[in-house]
Amino acid sequence: MKGSTPVNRTPNDPRPQVLIHDPTLRDGHHAVGHQLDADQLRTYATAANAARVPIVEVGHGNGLGASSLQIGRALLDDATMLTTVREALTSSKMGVFLAPGWGTSGDLAAAVHHGADVVRIAAHCTEADVTERHLATVRNLGAEPQGVLLMSHMTSPDRLAEQCALMVKYGAQAVGIMDSAGHYLPADVIERIHAIASAVDVPVIFHGHNNLGLAVANSLAAVEAGASVIDATARGFGAGAGNTQLEALVTVLERHGFDTGIGLREILAAGDVAADHLMKAPPSIDSIAVAGGLAGVFSGFKRPVLEAARTEGVDAIDLFLALGERQVVAGQEDLIGDVARQLKAATR
Amino acid sequence: MAAGERRRVAVLGAGLIGVDLASKIARSSKLELALVAGRSRDSLGLRRAAEMGHPTTADGVRAVVESGPFDVVFDATNADSHAENWAALRPTGTTLIDLTPTGLGTVTVPGVTVHRSAAHRHLNLISCGGQASIPILHAIAQRCTPTYIEVVSTAASASAGPATRLNLDQYIATTSAAIRTFTGTRDVKVMVNISPARPAPPFRVAMTVLADDVRPAPVRTSIAAAADTVRAYAPGFKVTSLAVDPGRIAAAVEVTASSRHLPSHAGSIDIINAAAVLLAEQSATASR
Repeated sequence: MKGSTPVNRTPNDPRPQVLIHDPTLRDGHHAVGHQLDADQLRTYATAANAARVPIVEVGHGNGLGASSLQIGRALLDDATMLTTVREALTSSKMGVFLAPGWGTSGDLAAAVHHGADVVRIAAHCTEADVTERHLATVRNLGAEPQGVLLMSHMTSPDRLAEQCALMVKYGAQAVGIMDSAGHYLPADVIERIHAIASAVDVPVIFHGHNNLGLAVANSLAAVEAGASVIDATARGFGAGAGNTQLEALVTVLERHGFDTGIGLREILAAGDVAADHLMKAPPSIDSIAVAGGLAGVFSGFKRPVLEAARTEGVDAIDLFLALGERQVVAGQEDLIGDVARQLKAATR
Repeated sequence: MAAGERRRVAVLGAGLIGVDLASKIARSSKLELALVAGRSRDSLGLRRAAEMGHPTTADGVRAVVESGPFDVVFDATNADSHAENWAALRPTGTTLIDLTPTGLGTVTVPGVTVHRSAAHRHLNLISCGGQASIPILHAIAQRCTPTYIEVVSTAASASAGPATRLNLDQYIATTSAAIRTFTGTRDVKVMVNISPARPAPPFRVAMTVLADDVRPAPVRTSIAAAADTVRAYAPGFKVTSLAVDPGRIAAAVEVTASSRHLPSHAGSIDIINAAAVLLAEQSATASR
């Protein structure tokens, strides 16, 4: 199977392997309004490549084709982002992300043309059948298709397992779940990864967010439960409280007896590069982030929620909780203003 | 055709869309539903159509050709089958109303293109998002010159059947192309969300229009008039938010289903089917 083991695994290392998938230059975009420039992309990609990170994912925060007024317009177009990162990667593979409905098969063809090796096709937790055509497209284009379920806390472990099995049937060579709202506790992760790992015969993916301070712990729990592809970003660069912190995760996994193939000193250097070049401040678990994790609302909503709360003069935490009650999912940013106005009307 | 005589019609496709279409046609005083054609005798849709008392067949387009000619055939299959269906039905002289997002026929939105569409025998209804957004976008484009239009549809998971899910790329391409045609705007972006929320949310379409020459009063008046036109055939259609600012118009519409055979969240199906039935009735009137 193409690409499902770390590209730089240590030869003859008897320890079990965990493949680190690094979406710093994709999910991190949510923290900076999708405004990373070519120098920033190149600088970080070079550092990650030097650290032997197996897969470096790049793109708009919501993936290929998602640059829009609704979700936020990226500074660079997809082609520029991909060619910039591709040139910086000599050993790491390049990953991209696409959710059907936000991007199309045309975007996939362009991405593979620009050198994408691994293509994640995403759907909301119960909607895996929208990935069928796009997973087949990726396979036909000669890249490695993977399937991921967003907002996975919104449904049951059994349903997630069934949805992951569907994506395998459609051709995904790795499948798994994203904790898009940073809502999970380790026990939640273990139950879900167990269910998925029992239902499929391909590597299982876990992608954490740190709203409740558990992203690294949840990722470790996922590995112990049978996941072998873990997403993590340098300094945890990502929306709100950020993602699983890459440097910490690699260290934790190595201490726990897993091999990631990543150089420790080099990944610490990549973390410093990210801190110095990509972000004004590292992600922190502020009150908004905790509320979002509690309410189960997509972390990427932080910036538009703060803006709508300010415009309408309502409390941002109230707004996050109200969006949680509506079970709003990523991509529904147009509802934030409406819900803010309803809150304002209700408090008059 | 004598006045008062009903037009003989068939529905091809027995999914979520086909079954609701059958129930809407059954309530029309101008249409007579003579056949619902699916592809599997065991499908839930065909069984429901039979329970409603409609003649059914599992032989698909072949049966429609053999039992014809029909005055109007509705294609509620999927984008991949549509070209073949049109090729089979075209020689029968029927008017084909296409509810799949192929964009092969004359793209049509009631109230926006009704006068021209009556002359065509192959109509395409674009998509549910197109039916919900184009009346509003067309009204806006009469009052200003858009430089960019963005449309984001959110449909409840339960309202999106397998053909819809497989056809998201065509849905986006066909909807974008139709918006370009009806507004004269080159730069158009369409996005689609399918929401897993429970209880299921209503069908919602958010639109953002950028234009340098926005004058709020006429824009608001035009949007209100367009919404009234749609509500005449799709009563669950409502403009739920509207902000008209210098350079930028943001509007959202929601559609709740008002059909007996649809849950209220299935507004996406309700509006495209209501448009299809209205066009079939108008085509009957026009050819008398």
